[in-house]
Amino acid sequence: MRRMRILAGISLLVLLLAACSSSTDSDSASSAEDTTATEVEATTEEATELDDSNCASAEVFCIGLVTDIGKVDDKSFNQSAWEGAVAAAESTGGFAKYVETVDTKDYANNIAQFTDKNYDAIVTVGFLMAEATVVAAKEYPDTHFIGVDQFIGEEIPNLTGLIFPEDQAGYAAGYLAGLMTKTNKLGQVLGLEIPPVQKFALGFEAGAKAANSAVTVTTVYHPPADNGFADPVWGGQEARKQLDQGADVIFAAGGGTGNGGLIEIAKDPGAGESVFCIGVDADQWGTVPEAQPCLITSAMKLITDGTSTLLGQVNDGSIAGGNYVGLTGLAPYHDFDSVIPDDVKAAVDEIVVGLKDGSIQTGVTL
Amino acid sequence: MSKFLQRHQKAVLSTLLVIVIAYGFYFWDSVRTTSILNFSLSYALPLILAAMVGIIGERSGVVNIGIEGQMLLSAFVAFFAAVATGSLIIGAFLGMASGLLAGAFLGIAAVKWEMDQIIAGVVINIVAAGITSFYYTPGQSLPAIVPRIEIPYLSQIPLIGQVFFNKSIFVYATLILVVVLQVMLFTSKWGLRTRAVGEYPSAADTAGINVYRTRILNVAIAGVLAGTAGAYLSLDAAGWFERGFTAGRGFLALAIMIFGAWNPFGAMAAALFFGFASGMASQLQADEVINIPQQLINMLPYVMTLIILSLAAGKVRPPGAVGQPYKKEG
Amino acid sequence: MQTESDDAKKLHPSLEYLIKKQSFIVPIIAVFVALIIGSVLIYFQGANPIGAYKTILQASLGNERGLIRTLEKTTPLILAGLAVAVALRVGLFNIGAQGQLIMGAFFATWAGFTFTNLPALIHIFVGLLAGIIAGGLWAAIAGILKAYRGVHEVISTIMLNSIAIAILDYLVNYPYKEPDQPLPRTVPILESAQLPKIGFVPVGFILALLVATFISWLINRTTTGFRFNTVGANKFAAAYAGIKIKYVVVSSMLLSGGLAGLGGAIETLGITYRFEPAFNKGLGFDGITIALLARANPIATIPAAFLVGILRSGAPTLQFDYGLEPEIVDLLLALTLLFVAAPILGKLIFRKRAEKSENVSSGWGS
Repeated sequence: MRRMRILAGISLLVLLLAACSSSTDSDSASSAEDTTATEVEATTEEATELDDSNCASAEVFCIGLVTDIGKVDDKSFNQSAWEGAVAAAESTGGFAKYVETVDTKDYANNIAQFTDKNYDAIVTVGFLMAEATVVAAKEYPDTHFIGVDQFIGEEIPNLTGLIFPEDQAGYAAGYLAGLMTKTNKLGQVLGLEIPPVQKFALGFEAGAKAANSAVTVTTVYHPPADNGFADPVWGGQEARKQLDQGADVIFAAGGGTGNGGLIEIAKDPGAGESVFCIGVDADQWGTVPEAQPCLITSAMKLITDGTSTLLGQVNDGSIAGGNYVGLTGLAPYHDFDSVIPDDVKAAVDEIVVGLKDGSIQTGVTL
Repeated sequence: MSKFLQRHQKAVLSTLLVIVIAYGFYFWDSVRTTSILNFSLSYALPLILAAMVGIIGERSGVVNIGIEGQMLLSAFVAFFAAVATGSLIIGAFLGMASGLLAGAFLGIAAVKWEMDQIIAGVVINIVAAGITSFYYTPGQSLPAIVPRIEIPYLSQIPLIGQVFFNKSIFVYATLILVVVLQVMLFTSKWGLRTRAVGEYPSAADTAGINVYRTRILNVAIAGVLAGTAGAYLSLDAAGWFERGFTAGRGFLALAIMIFGAWNPFGAMAAALFFGFASGMASQLQADEVINIPQQLINMLPYVMTLIILSLAAGKVRPPGAVGQPYKKEG
Repeated sequence: MQTESDDAKKLHPSLEYLIKKQSFIVPIIAVFVALIIGSVLIYFQGANPIGAYKTILQASLGNERGLIRTLEKTTPLILAGLAVAVALRVGLFNIGAQGQLIMGAFFATWAGFTFTNLPALIHIFVGLLAGIIAGGLWAAIAGILKAYRGVHEVISTIMLNSIAIAILDYLVNYPYKEPDQPLPRTVPILESAQLPKIGFVPVGFILALLVATFISWLINRTTTGFRFNTVGANKFAAAYAGIKIKYVVVSSMLLSGGLAGLGGAIETLGITYRFEPAFNKGLGFDGITIALLARANPIATIPAAFLVGILRSGAPTLQFDYGLEPEIVDLLLALTLLFVAAPILGKLIFRKRAEKSENVSSGWGS
């Protein structure tokens, strides 16, 4: 009996090994499987029915996107860039696909997934990927690279950096906050202390002080940790603390951490009447509907627009290397359009125009 | 009562001292004191619950390193169950049920299969991280928010009223639980059995206590608390689920449990202290009173914990049989 | 008992051999069982499991680039796994491999850009040594606190992880920030400090193999190892036998941290060539998984790390080809660990002859 068990165990192992080796040996069988698998994948991907088997040909415009550490549905910059890629794929009749980065050391490899298949354009998201993108762009001159949030120091013809003056969006939001506050206390609940966040935060403070010299701004970054942009619990607690200390307009900037802050502010009994919140990156009225009770606007950087515009340029061949400055601005006021006084709206509009034409400088340098 | 005071002289005195200092600060700056203590409590709450999970487990002889995973899984289940059913209550209960399930797994694996307890815990952590990430669907919102319940009269007390008596059900439940657990652990039959099983299982066995059943049941029931902590995180504290968003709180809770010398009250004090240190760190950053980069300020809670422990340690001892699967003789 | 031995006599020699080697066989079967269960998960995600596994193998081992990446990923995993394993031998649970690893990574980088005019061989040696010392000393803090102040190593290593992150974040944002650019990172190391490759094999990988062999020898064949194991098995007996427990605790943590630090040093000197805070998320925690998979056996950390390395290295291609999220890899790992550790498989196959596995967590309570 015992021996039977042992034999059964071993034969199971042998069978497994055989099954495994046969599947790798028989090319015809597995290639058939491959095609079925690709079809499945094409329907699950948010793209057209095209696949990437003929990206090398000129007719099919193939877009690849590599996320920074994080997921493509992060309601933040990765998601915005991906939406831009999808939009570009739709308008050009092309094809878009993404790979999510788990480990920063995989950047080069993840880019190579796309270059191996001769993709026409590759979007890399996040400043951490700047170096890997430059290296890849030099290695694959026939592919055009778009680096979101990456300032390109050296001119490479097939590499365009999509950068944003976050400080300007922060400045406009801060200006609005400075005019809206009754307590003259503003708060900021921020993700990790890294350049894009710092620019938003410093811009916000500068704008608030320009609008209202009596205002004080409380600035708190998430403690250094792996989850600096994914800690809504901390974001909520910090927002609550700032509310308790009298801040009545709070700028929450930092992925999931900031979203936690927005949701906590929305729960306040005074939300939308005496207490307001301001979102970041996208129009968070749509991305975080829980925040609607307090969300007067969002300091936007239009990553989706910038990405799809640049991809369109890649498709029609008009793209240039170097840096492309994307648009920033304030999201619509939505339901708060009637709450925000007309003179405030007019003043903020003026600031936005001034920032755009350069007559107003934020004074933010890193 | 006097016996209690005598036995816990130090604890009572230091509690009184903390209260006096807190009120001292309250009269100096009521807004900041209240808000920092509020921060401390909400920071500490999941840590307290999770530390209770650890305490019940280790007191009965089972290391639970899977608290992190249990919380993450229940936070996930609670959130998506609440979204799907439109009811926070159903969400919370299903979250607690998933905590129970994870706890039962640990209990059965560690006791019945005599699997290595740390490995069983690590398995829970990885599985939870994998499942909650793999099956996460974006774009969901909770149907409602967890209401604040203001306790009449008590909430009018200066400072304490605002910090302790104007909170959600999770806070009240946790505070009651800590008291109940402290009393049960040291005075009830269940507590005696639990500690016997964790300290000296063979003696407990001789005395007629079913070591296996006690351990499995305790670890499973503790899972409900981990589930509550998870439900609190996603339904109340954040109102949101994010991949991996327990962010090491389960591991921190283990540290808190040891800091609190495997005692419910001790662990609560340790968690509150840790929450307070974090609140102070964020306040120092906000007020810019000292010109030190935030990275260094934010080390404060961790450094202070290490210093306090190294000054005070040496006296506490973990339960005798913790980490060792029990094997009946013969 | 009589029947047991009679039965054993009747067994075929090859079966005897298999029973003796069951500590090797069970993990292999565990991997297969995990893969089978994983294939069900993959199937329900709408992908072809066999094709998916083939993709992982192809991407991680099937070409030179993939193989290099797999070896590079395996290297720090071996060392982090060794770090945890060595401490487990003494009954210490080192959750702080992460902190020790990044400390080592930073100080190796520091040595790499600070010392100039060193010949390559010496510079590399200095860099690696700096990493070992930094990691070792960081862990030794926990060892000293444990030995002399009775602070449980689980608390101290968790605290030290967070402190290490904060200190390094400060160092790369202020004193050692690369000038004239906004990113928090150090300047690159000098070319003389870069770890080369022999053929396509990274030197770091060879180093890791040698170190694992050395540690295996140290633990199993020397008096030091004997002391370690004795303290881990029974403190009181060890003290009775005249072993200085405090010395063993501190020196084992020093060794454990040194190993993790070496892992970090190889990362920066061999792959990233500079220190960036985000680069090695979670390596220390993978180390725990690997040490447990290897059941704290130093030489077994090599295959365990290799398994994790293959899975992590293949995950991006899996997402590219099948749209499967990279987390599937973690589920596979958890299942493998479960079946390695749970005595179910061993009992099922070997029945009464199943070996009782050593318990690694018994040291927790001391």
